[in-house]
Amino acid sequence: MAKSHSVWTSIRFWRQSAAWVTGFAVVLLILLTFDTMRQIKMGGKRVPSPSVINNHIDYKYSKKRGHEVPVIGDKEPFFGKQWSDEEAAALLHKGKLTSQAKNCMNCHTLLGNGAYYAPDLTKAWLDPKWKQMMPMVGAKTKEEAIAKFLQHPEMYPTHERRMPNLKITPDEAKALVAFLKHMSAIDTNGFPRGFSKGVKEFEAGGTYAH
Amino acid sequence: MLFEPFTDVYPSFWGWLNQGPLTLTLFLHTVIVLPMFWLYFKEKKRLEQEK
Repeated sequence: MAKSHSVWTSIRFWRQSAAWVTGFAVVLLILLTFDTMRQIKMGGKRVPSPSVINNHIDYKYSKKRGHEVPVIGDKEPFFGKQWSDEEAAALLHKGKLTSQAKNCMNCHTLLGNGAYYAPDLTKAWLDPKWKQMMPMVGAKTKEEAIAKFLQHPEMYPTHERRMPNLKITPDEAKALVAFLKHMSAIDTNGFPRGFSKGVKEFEAGGTYAH
Repeated sequence: MLFEPFTDVYPSFWGWLNQGPLTLTLFLHTVIVLPMFWLYFKEKKRLEQEK
């Protein structure tokens, strides 16, 4: 008779347990969603406002946090000018739409989303390789070099896997560079780890984005 | 280390919770499994009373 009174065979017990676990998970996921929304809001501590494209962006190893963190520096011209909040926001919006229209994620990774066929673009703005690219494309600034490369990637092969010409217009290229620069200023808790970082810089524990 | 100083840019309970797999596991087991003990004994009592 004892068997018929086992709680383990009681449907009521399992039903209540399932309701509790499901209900708790729902509440937890809703709270986490709000927490995420708060943290990814533009203009906050993690994701800077669009006008950050007017600033020098550096990347420094933080001993406290155990990974590299973005350092927003002094003002610097972006494509030869300072952009107002509205202009910068519009440019970033165009850059985002272009990155979607040209399907960058089909090969690249952006903020953890996308493919690993081509280099990770999350901190691509800080890549020291652009300095070497400047004389190759005949550009005076890093942003111009990136814009030129994006318009004619087939002319400047940097890797075995060559980027195809995606018919990116000069305006779109400019917007994409702004999009990349803003993305590099996002505090991603050290992701991606030590991107294009040389051993020397790593040992020095300093910055390598100058 | 089970408990480490929270260093993320946003001070968040959830971030602190998710600093490592152990803290998350302990939390989830505490809040999910412990109430099930209560459900178990409540149900046991009910079944015994029915008997």
